[in-house]
Amino acid sequence: MNDMSKVERTVSQTDIKISARKVQVYYGDKHAIKDVDVDILDKTVTAFIGPSGCGKSTFLRCLNRMNDTIDISRVEGKIMLDGEDIYDKRVDPVQLRAKVGMVFQKPNPFPKSIYDNVAYGPRIHGLARNRAELDEIVEKSLRGAALWNEVKDRLAEPGTGLSGGQQQRLCIARAVATQPEVLLMDEPCSALDPIATSQVEELIDQLRTEFSVVIVTHSMQQAARVSQKTAFFHLGNLVEYDDTDTIFTRPQDPRTESYISGRIG
Amino acid sequence: MTDATFPVSSAPAAKSSLLVVDARTRKRNAAEARFRAYGLGAILISVALLVILMFTIFRDGTGAFRQTYLEIPVTLDAAQLDKVGNRDPEDLKKVLTTSYGKILENSLQQAITSNGINVEGLSGPDVANLISKEASAQLRNRVLANPDLVGQTVDARVLTNGRVDGYYKGRVTMETAARDSNTSPAQLQLADALKEKGLIATEWNWSFLTMPDASDQRPEAAGVGIAILGSLYMMLVVLVLAVPIGVAASIYLEEFAPKNRLTDIIEVNISNLAAVPSIVFGILGLAAFINVAGLPQSAPIVGGLVLTLMTLPTIIIATRAALKAVPPSIRDAALGVGASKMQSVFHHVLPLAMPGILTGTIIGLAQALGETAPLLLIGMVAFVRNFPGAPPEGLMDPASALPVQVYNWTQRADPAFFERASGAIIVLLVFLLCMNLFAIFLRRKFERRW
Amino acid sequence: MPVTWTLLLVLALAVAGYFIGRSRVLSAAGGDSRRLHSRTSYYGWNVALFTAVPALFLIGIWSIAKPASGTVLAVVALIMAAVGMGFNLMRTTPDFRARNAVETFVRYLLILCSMIAIATTAGIVFSMVFETSNFFKQYSWTEFFFGSTWSPRFGGGSQLGILPLVWGTLYISFIALAVSIPIGLFAAIYMSEYASPRLRSFAKPAIEVLAGIPTIVYGLFALVTVGPMLRDYFAQPLGLGSSGSSVMTAGLVMGIMLIPFVSSLSDDIINAVPQSMRDGALGLGSTPSETVRKVVLPAALPGIVGAILLAASRAIGETMIVVLGAGAAAQMSMNPFEAMTTITVKIVSQLTGDTDFAAPETLVAFALGITLFVVTLGLNIVALYVVRKYREQYE
Repeated sequence: MNDMSKVERTVSQTDIKISARKVQVYYGDKHAIKDVDVDILDKTVTAFIGPSGCGKSTFLRCLNRMNDTIDISRVEGKIMLDGEDIYDKRVDPVQLRAKVGMVFQKPNPFPKSIYDNVAYGPRIHGLARNRAELDEIVEKSLRGAALWNEVKDRLAEPGTGLSGGQQQRLCIARAVATQPEVLLMDEPCSALDPIATSQVEELIDQLRTEFSVVIVTHSMQQAARVSQKTAFFHLGNLVEYDDTDTIFTRPQDPRTESYISGRIG
Repeated sequence: MTDATFPVSSAPAAKSSLLVVDARTRKRNAAEARFRAYGLGAILISVALLVILMFTIFRDGTGAFRQTYLEIPVTLDAAQLDKVGNRDPEDLKKVLTTSYGKILENSLQQAITSNGINVEGLSGPDVANLISKEASAQLRNRVLANPDLVGQTVDARVLTNGRVDGYYKGRVTMETAARDSNTSPAQLQLADALKEKGLIATEWNWSFLTMPDASDQRPEAAGVGIAILGSLYMMLVVLVLAVPIGVAASIYLEEFAPKNRLTDIIEVNISNLAAVPSIVFGILGLAAFINVAGLPQSAPIVGGLVLTLMTLPTIIIATRAALKAVPPSIRDAALGVGASKMQSVFHHVLPLAMPGILTGTIIGLAQALGETAPLLLIGMVAFVRNFPGAPPEGLMDPASALPVQVYNWTQRADPAFFERASGAIIVLLVFLLCMNLFAIFLRRKFERRW
Repeated sequence: MPVTWTLLLVLALAVAGYFIGRSRVLSAAGGDSRRLHSRTSYYGWNVALFTAVPALFLIGIWSIAKPASGTVLAVVALIMAAVGMGFNLMRTTPDFRARNAVETFVRYLLILCSMIAIATTAGIVFSMVFETSNFFKQYSWTEFFFGSTWSPRFGGGSQLGILPLVWGTLYISFIALAVSIPIGLFAAIYMSEYASPRLRSFAKPAIEVLAGIPTIVYGLFALVTVGPMLRDYFAQPLGLGSSGSSVMTAGLVMGIMLIPFVSSLSDDIINAVPQSMRDGALGLGSTPSETVRKVVLPAALPGIVGAILLAASRAIGETMIVVLGAGAAAQMSMNPFEAMTTITVKIVSQLTGDTDFAAPETLVAFALGITLFVVTLGLNIVALYVVRKYREQYE
């Protein structure tokens, strides 16, 4: 892992992929996210940490407008992806979500074959012109999710038949196959056992050569292991956002310090 | 982890702007809009069908609640009605309805003359035909109930013939009357003249709800009185039998039954019984209750028993759902203070499940109230003129039922009966509406979220 | 003596038994209820239950079977009640485990009640099997199942082939399903995936109202409104027939009846598909309709197939709509505007009016009934099994 990190340092981390300004989210009367400003870098793993109910998942779901599917939620402020406001009236959330993929807390493979699961995104977005291209995308994505060797002989079997860790990697492969620019992960390891977790974490570390990865986690150790940048949320506020090393060694805000030292949470 | 080879996309797709909707997305969005339109269309069609159904029923049925009456003074001639002269009810009974028909006929002629109405082109019988054949029987009953009326001149409100009634409800026109052997344009003109003098009026018709069925020739006199009573009796039987049995069965299956083959068989059985066609229950009723047990045909008790067997699965399924909704912590709490299993169920679980059980029961009863097919097979279609007695003995008397009465009237030749059938449906729907509103009220009032 | 009086006497005896039992055990315990095994009311209940229940059963069975006069019943029932009462008063002592006795008694009552479902099924099967075997003694079963002519004649020489009836049943059911499945399914999809809470709060009850309307109402609608309309605007102008009663009339109206049935079943099934599945598809950039068509519906497919089978079984067993809308002519034709008839219609027509339970023309109704029962039961069993397996998958 250390060797990997050294290599990755050479990748430019300065490009800003997503920049959020004064973002507010309301669920009905509840003010769930207050005035959040954050810049998410390209080809970097950014971790959102904080006690449960702090709004980190809510904010994550703003980044690809998954909150649109909830009737009572309302988002204010600006979120720019490559300089374009994703809440602009002209933006079609469908196109946005093709660029900003998402992996969920619980592995949710579709009740289809492994192949069809991965091919789903390329098919709906028309990324392959023929079967050969589709085969290629599926193989690359499964390789990318470090799952190819385990499933290459049973691509026609249902995705729901895999183990929990395999299912989650299948979901990552499914998201990767759409060729997104940003990959959002909402506590991707919380339903997995420690071995599957370490496999997925290793995978995340590799994913950042390609994408900007944003991961929500309730585990500080996980944030420290996989991310370069960490944002600490508390009661809907973004308390502190800095390099992961800094957050865990020299936090500026007393609330961050209490959290990482285990006094709140 | 050995096979992780990045980059995934060998040639990254050209950067596209989010602000421009590409052609493919436009196409997909169009498909999306079409799909939504189909869905909305399906809902609109369903709602529109409901509206059309209700509209036609009410359009056709409200007529049954209005009735055209002739109001004339009737001289109850003692010489014709009481030849003995002692006003003895026994003697009065010997006078047949025909005599009363004559009296009505004479009274109508007198009314026509005294009002100076021209009856050109109408024979005496044609004029008399304006009055319903039922009217003379009603007048006779009135006199028998009050013999002192004999010899007096009373104001009588008599039913007109069904065609005249239909004329004022728009069902009969001069054109159809010309082709009709039961009426004629001249008769309708006479009716118009009488109406002008205020002798004929179309009024609210309570008697539709109280009168028994009437024969083919007298649609104007047909009512749903016996049908309502019969339906009520059957609901009584269902309530008395299906509810306790259904609740008891549910309690056993939900709270006590061991997990074994027998329990499984019972459960599969119940869910299958709920989907057995209702007519099959009619065959069961005919074979078991009438042919084997020898119960009388057309009796509400048989209808009630058949409907009980039909409703049981519904009640059991609803009751079990209600019992299941009571959280196990309640049972544990009762058992924890030393209550027996039976006590925990009857003292705690059952009262908490009561609103759900009641709601399910009412819905089951509503289903039973509207059921027709099985009742046809056990003879409830019979023509019944006499009201059944009081329960429980009255349960053995022949009666009709609301939905069967509707069917019965659709089989008659005179179109006036279609109006009656739709009217009976309105009555049925009002009952169902009240039951459902009551169920909704119970659910709202006692609904509990655990 | 009328049944009412017997009934009241038995109940009075039971109430008396309750109070006597209570006071007897209390006085035996010297007024100290703590010395008793059970609470005092259980001693009362024990006596009351054993007094009333057996006698009530007797009255119930007697008034249906009527083996002898009401006076005999009264005497037997009262003796039964008195014996039950006496025996249980005798065993009412402070050490008597009254609660256990009552609970065991109630438990057996509960078991008895839950057996009624099985008894009903057995009753259905026996009542039909018996008469059906009588029918097949008089009429060959091959001609019944494979005969293509239905012309009952009271007086002999009837041809009672079921095929025309099966054809009519299937044709009408097919039209009904062709109407109700697309509309019901789309309504359910719209309701669960798109509808605003306001529309849902109004449209859902409206569709449920359709479900609560008795079939006789639909039958009248077919007879008075739909039949004449189809005849005047479609069948006659197109030269396809001049009958108001037709396969199309019955099929359309039955389709309307089945819309709420299909939609509420599909609604349950679609809602059972976990939200995470929808999120997964939306998160990959699916439009909502792609999510429904490519993820939700395939996931829900087994359940929806089950729902369709249940709807088919309903359509096949439906009676009043076809009695009033389909007609009585037993024929096999492709023209949907012609009157045809169904199994249920013929059950009704052979069993109403003057019936002679020795004649094959009447008995054939039982053979039709058992055929109907077996077919619908088969459909139900398969459907319920499929739906249950489907639900277990997501629980």
